[in-house]
Amino acid sequence: MSPPRTLRVALVVLGVGLFAWGAEAWAETIYVQARTAQLRAGKTSLDAVVGNVKFGDALEVVGRDGNWVEVKTSAGAKGWIFANKTASSKPSGTNDTLVKLGQSMRGGDASATTASAGARGLDKASEGYANRAGVSARDRDAVDRMTAYQIPDQEVEEFLREGGLGEYAK
Amino acid sequence: MRSNHRLAATLILLALSAAGCAEIQRAGEDIARQSGNPRLAGAIHGVGNVVGSLLPIGYEEEMSIGQAMALQVVARYGGVVDQPELVRYVNLVARAVANTSDRPDIPYRVAILEHDSINAFAAPAGYIFVTRGLLKQIRNEAELAAVLGHEIAHVSQKHILDVIQRSKRLAGVTEAGLSYATSNPAAFKTIIDGAVKKLLDEGLDQEKETEADAVGEVFAARVGYDAEAYVGLLARLRDLKGDDRALFKTHPNFSARIEAVRNTIHSKRLAATGVLLQERFLRMTKRV
Repeated sequence: MSPPRTLRVALVVLGVGLFAWGAEAWAETIYVQARTAQLRAGKTSLDAVVGNVKFGDALEVVGRDGNWVEVKTSAGAKGWIFANKTASSKPSGTNDTLVKLGQSMRGGDASATTASAGARGLDKASEGYANRAGVSARDRDAVDRMTAYQIPDQEVEEFLREGGLGEYAK
Repeated sequence: MRSNHRLAATLILLALSAAGCAEIQRAGEDIARQSGNPRLAGAIHGVGNVVGSLLPIGYEEEMSIGQAMALQVVARYGGVVDQPELVRYVNLVARAVANTSDRPDIPYRVAILEHDSINAFAAPAGYIFVTRGLLKQIRNEAELAAVLGHEIAHVSQKHILDVIQRSKRLAGVTEAGLSYATSNPAAFKTIIDGAVKKLLDEGLDQEKETEADAVGEVFAARVGYDAEAYVGLLARLRDLKGDDRALFKTHPNFSARIEAVRNTIHSKRLAATGVLLQERFLRMTKRV
């Protein structure tokens, strides 16, 4: 192989590399700003769900149209997400490094659920508080039930759909 | 020698800070103790606690505070409404708003207080309360969403946790985290009672209320509720209660709030979508 040809090959490789790097560097990244969100095959809530993402996930923007953004996940899956479920900066979650560091230094024994309180139960600290403050059994039960209260995600989604809210807006 | 101990403690602390690991802190304390140096062990423990207390409160700790405050709110307001369908509806609206809030990754739960006064409260970790009296004043789902957005904003902005930090200092608690809750339950009670007093009787700082109005309005608008709805509710409450601060001491007066909310709608370009969902609201709340 002659030197000029080697040089040409090297330049081509360098060019391809720079192009790939440039495309990567210029790709716009957005983040999921919702507890969970669905990726759809098209830009309406009637289109099929092709994937699920969760709070804080990074998504590469492929395109935009109205209230919808076409994105690609880190795993390479593509789909459309409702724009109001995304943010341009990474959301500061509750489990960031500082919080984890603080938890690790403080330890978490005070918040362990008491054995007597059962599976859902008030935690040790608040049960101790209830005893000292003379909170009635009725009111403890109210907070206990409140703590355990859950609504499945599908029911919230159905509620949004019925009301024409979020990505189901008419 | 003492300065050497401090230096050693600082170095160990820096190492464990970098690792973020309580086990390393405990190992350092053990080694210092076994080598006949209890003062160094104490220094490592103490410095670790001080640094820990400066770091943000974690969710488990926030839960304990939220639960304890919720107990006191329920006790002071005479219990909660036991109407499963109504409670489910209010919680669905809250979840709809919270899921696209700035802090969607924690559970939010709403209870309706069996009380005729007109108010709503939020304790840390997503414990939210609205009174039966306030629900009676609300006319559509968009207004309810804005009220719940305001309370969710207090949680997402960690307004009450700021009060807790101040209460801890007033109670003389220098210990990090919640370990004092079991080792010194009297201090924990003082802190919770102080925070509840602030929440229910004295009110948060006015700037926090104004911020909760603005942020909550954005949260409700993100789901698609009509941004003008909240203005309508605040105007009706002003007509009902007036702008007298003595009557409504836990929040800024209504005229100031209405003006600030209008500014938020304008500056954030929030839409008057026309989505009020009045029919659904009236159907679900007819037994309030």
